[in-house]
Amino acid sequence: MNSEIIKKLLKIVVLTLLISYGLDKLVFFGLNKISDKVMTGQAIGKLNHFLSLKDNTDFLVFGNSRANRHIDVELFSDNGFNMGIDGVGIAYNSTLINTLNEEKKQLILVHIDTKNFIDANYDGSDIRGLKTKYQRDDKITDALNESGELSQLQRVFYSMNYNGNAIGILKNYFKPSYDYKTHNGYDPLIVNSDQETMRDLVLSKDNQNDECVDNPKINPLALRYLKSIKTFTEKSPNKTFLFVTSPMYNDTCSTDNKKLGEIMQDLGLTYWDFTNLYKDNKDNSYWKDKTHMSKTGAEAFSIFLLDKYKSNKI
Amino acid sequence: MLFNSLEYLIFLPVVFIIYWLLKNSYKKQNILLLISSYIFYGWWDYRFLSLIIFSSFLDYFVGQKIEDAIGDKNKKHWLLVSLFSNLGLLGVFKYYNFFADSFASTMSNIGWEVNDLTLNIILPVGISFYTFQTLSYSIDIYRNQIKASRDIVGFFTFVSLFPQLVAGPIERASNLIPQIERKRNLNITLIKTGIFQIFIGLFRKVAIADNLGIYVDSVYSNYEIHNSSTLLVATIFYAFQIYFDFSGYSDIAIGSAKLFGFKFNRNFNFPYFSRTLTEFWRRWHMSLSFWLRDYLYISLGGNRKGIIITYRNLLLTMLIGGLWHGSSWNFVIWGGIHGLFLSLEKYTFSALNIKTFNAFGYIYTFVVVLVAWIFFRAPDFHSASTIITEIFSFDYGPLFIGNINAFVNAVLLLLIGFLIDLKIFRSDVSLEEYGTRFSSVKLSIIVSIIILMLCLFYSTAENFIYFQF
Repeated sequence: MNSEIIKKLLKIVVLTLLISYGLDKLVFFGLNKISDKVMTGQAIGKLNHFLSLKDNTDFLVFGNSRANRHIDVELFSDNGFNMGIDGVGIAYNSTLINTLNEEKKQLILVHIDTKNFIDANYDGSDIRGLKTKYQRDDKITDALNESGELSQLQRVFYSMNYNGNAIGILKNYFKPSYDYKTHNGYDPLIVNSDQETMRDLVLSKDNQNDECVDNPKINPLALRYLKSIKTFTEKSPNKTFLFVTSPMYNDTCSTDNKKLGEIMQDLGLTYWDFTNLYKDNKDNSYWKDKTHMSKTGAEAFSIFLLDKYKSNKI
Repeated sequence: MLFNSLEYLIFLPVVFIIYWLLKNSYKKQNILLLISSYIFYGWWDYRFLSLIIFSSFLDYFVGQKIEDAIGDKNKKHWLLVSLFSNLGLLGVFKYYNFFADSFASTMSNIGWEVNDLTLNIILPVGISFYTFQTLSYSIDIYRNQIKASRDIVGFFTFVSLFPQLVAGPIERASNLIPQIERKRNLNITLIKTGIFQIFIGLFRKVAIADNLGIYVDSVYSNYEIHNSSTLLVATIFYAFQIYFDFSGYSDIAIGSAKLFGFKFNRNFNFPYFSRTLTEFWRRWHMSLSFWLRDYLYISLGGNRKGIIITYRNLLLTMLIGGLWHGSSWNFVIWGGIHGLFLSLEKYTFSALNIKTFNAFGYIYTFVVVLVAWIFFRAPDFHSASTIITEIFSFDYGPLFIGNINAFVNAVLLLLIGFLIDLKIFRSDVSLEEYGTRFSSVKLSIIVSIIILMLCLFYSTAENFIYFQF
């Protein structure tokens, strides 16, 4: 390799580094500007919506798609918001809870997915769902740094924070999915007549639960995030925390529920496990699939939950 | 080590710099390449390095024995040593459980219960690729097409050269060994074409294929509940997923090799722009299809022994080609479908006295390839036949979208990938040479745009699809 080739190679490398760095920042700051105005869509808009109103509501729901689809916040409060997001776990929710104003009086319902806690493979990577707020929200940035879930390259190429979401942001910027001002975050699943046959087929499939063990081990990372919420509850005496697991169609393993119940009790957290609430109810109209209730089921459950909450006076 | 990993991003430039610092001695460069290749492979599982080393030793000595042997009988004797040893290794690690399981099922069907004969064996990554590479070396010496290597480091480097070690291209000794056993040079053409091809490959794999895979996985894991439209779209996505995944891998391999002064043969040539299945196989996984043609089809007699034997040879070659991909009857059926249609094509061309089909052939070829892919992707025969039955029941109801973001990204990236392919396909320069069209500044801008696209659209898949073969 002669010096002429080295020069040309260096030129390509240096130019590529400079142009890619500049292009990355241009796109990142451009997407920041656009995404800040996006208030619809699960990945970005709902998070923006939540951050804009979180300290002005008196009822908040956190959790995954089951929280999002199962808890009708309007029954609890006219000023509530359901922050359930598809596919997220305790890492994501714990981080958001820690962004709340400690002084504000609020009822906080945290939907707990039992399987999340006994899954040995759970690695807290759901926290990456907050990456668009990296370097833009101090508490979220700290939590992301502490999690180690961001790639080292992300510290150089900021646009990685918008990985997978760029098209969705542009779509929701130009054509919002709904009127966010009237949206309280609750997204019930409506099963129309065309989908009933498929739903019945899904429900009739055998449950294969090979992982049910007598004494399940709690995932230490999930437990750490749960304890982080516990610490926050102690700093927020004005808030009421309620931890809930919503019903499943036919959960064949109860040892994990029992184990989690014991841990919640040890931590002194109010935990209601309704996994088997509708186990003997063979009415398929309550369900969309084995883990998600339909709008019919969700509304029945929300009323049941509200009654229980009122009668227990937490 | 994966091409799409942070480790490789560090590994490649480090090896590149040391390699060209040793430019005055190609032998020292070979030692470096050999050590680097073993590190590259050992990153996955160092224990299986012993297999590569064993295979290299075997063929190094057997190759010399074949060359030195006097008389055809003695040469054949040493060739058989190579064939049995290499295929024996492949048989044990890749096919033992498959045949043991099939035997037990057959016995069970005729009422004779057999104890479980399967063993807990891990399939070593790349074994199918380097076994075929070493086999062709021995066969070429036997056929007097090449000389046996007398440079042990050079030969070991030929077997294990890291860009092509785990998933090809399956390089012929006649192409690669002469390059290893002489001084390599780097020029600006190799740099430009190499860099361009590496980044195009990354884009194809990490952005296009992995995003398509999200939808494919979600549909194929619950195929029973989906209608014809959804299964058809998922299968079309899979056709492009496997193409962009494997051709992307080949691009990174060929591009990386160029940075070390090596020229590998091209492995893909826009296979979906084919008007016949015969043409498809001249464009798809070319290093394997040419290998099967030269070492299996021709060895079986090719088309020299009459029409019936020609069809038999075609079918047999494709069945074995299917089995090469994996130890499952689905792969055999996949190969069988290709073999059957290749034979039918041959018959049609001969009967109608034509050389290819008209534009309709593009659709015909894609449909046959698509149906065959169902067997490739589905976990077993039952699921494959259920999917085919459902697609051809024409129950074209509403399409399942799943995660809307992921679906839209997949469609958009597929469109971009298709347009890039179309642009290069219609140009007079191949993808392998396309980088020469750009000045240094233009190349830097293109690579920067690809980097940005990777940042915005990368998706994390565990592996390249062809690693399982």
